[in-house]
Amino acid sequence: MSPLGLLVVGAPRGASAEVEALLASLSPRLSVPVLLALHRGPHDLLAMPLGRRCPLPVLEPDDKEELVGGRVYLAPAGYHLLVDRDSLCLSREPAEHGQRPAIDPLFESAADAYGPAAAGLLFGEHEDGWAGMSALRARGGHVAVVGEGQPVDGVERVPLSEVRNWLARWAHAPRMKVQP
Amino acid sequence: MMDSGELETLELELLVEAVRRRYGFDLRNHARPLLLRRLRRHLREERLESFSALQGQVLHDAEAMDGLLRALACPPEALFSEPAFFSAFRARVVPVLRTYPSIRVWHAGCGSGEDTYALAILLMEEGLWGRCRLYASDASEGLLADARSGVLALPTEQDVRNYQEAGGRRSLSDYYTRDGDWAVVHPALRDAIFFTQHNLATDGSFNEFQVVLCRDTLLSFNRSLAGRVHERLYESLARFGFLCLGRKESVARTPHAAAYEQLEGTGRVYRRSA
Repeated sequence: MSPLGLLVVGAPRGASAEVEALLASLSPRLSVPVLLALHRGPHDLLAMPLGRRCPLPVLEPDDKEELVGGRVYLAPAGYHLLVDRDSLCLSREPAEHGQRPAIDPLFESAADAYGPAAAGLLFGEHEDGWAGMSALRARGGHVAVVGEGQPVDGVERVPLSEVRNWLARWAHAPRMKVQP
Repeated sequence: MMDSGELETLELELLVEAVRRRYGFDLRNHARPLLLRRLRRHLREERLESFSALQGQVLHDAEAMDGLLRALACPPEALFSEPAFFSAFRARVVPVLRTYPSIRVWHAGCGSGEDTYALAILLMEEGLWGRCRLYASDASEGLLADARSGVLALPTEQDVRNYQEAGGRRSLSDYYTRDGDWAVVHPALRDAIFFTQHNLATDGSFNEFQVVLCRDTLLSFNRSLAGRVHERLYESLARFGFLCLGRKESVARTPHAAAYEQLEGTGRVYRRSA
């Protein structure tokens, strides 16, 4: 199993309070970059409120910024956020599911660039994100829907309080046996 | 065994090589995630099975190549789609331009021309049109032909609000004639713009300009090509000239970062100071 290299999070606008709670629950020692696509309008100031309780810095990146572990990158208004291997990449392509930023583009690019080394968390009840999540799953990435309840379409569900443990499952490579 | 992802990567590399050898267009330095997205969308629209099928089509048919270039270009946005930029340009750049006897403006990567016409309207309202020469360029002949025709999607109510927010002084409809669902830009604007083919990735600087607009065009390129293009933009800019980038683009990691000063309160308008 490859160790975790990236966490992508997607959420519709209605879930922004839960996203804030998720960010607050992340370990301050999280060593991978977190990329977040949250549906938003042109004038929302999100980085500030979302970052209030988060132990990691939350920022709206410029195009082609280098990815640094332990930072949360929030998709800027009016742009899709995509990830390349070691940097991120913004796009002015048309809205998807009526949204820009949208979740599918982020998850699909994570599937391409990281495959099994990517983990994806989706906050529910919006059509945007499902295609991206199945692309990520098809490439061996770890995906889950955040919230209580039954699994959805065969995708695991993780309660908000369990996300930290869920992440820890992928965050560490299994320790190698020490040769005598 | 190769999985489907690895196979797609191989097909992509072969397609890129085919396009380069047949037409001289080098897609190797395009931002990979964007290239993949645009090509996949193009496949869906053309009802093609794979990048290999697209490769076959492109190799045998130059029109298919132009279709591909269109698919790779930045899709058109509405007139004044970023009103904050235009109002900042009016407030901070126009007063300086007024002091110049003649002004050369280059819009690099004009696509189908929406931003070019918006800028032309602004310059006309500010009384600068008479001493301006506006050059607009793009790599795609097809998109340039669209831009040159001056036919745009009919502005919506939102577009009208954006125009007002951008500091528009008249009525947006003063600048076009309606033709069904289309707006035909008035010839006074259209005929004074020099549309010319120019590939930012390969062609050199062709003049010296007081203003260079290159907004959200470099998003499509990877870091090394974007750096080379920035070199070219710098060479094309007169000293104390203005470089206008997209809201999320920066000169920070470019070869001449130290030579620019960002104008306060304008988003991403830079002034070349050295």
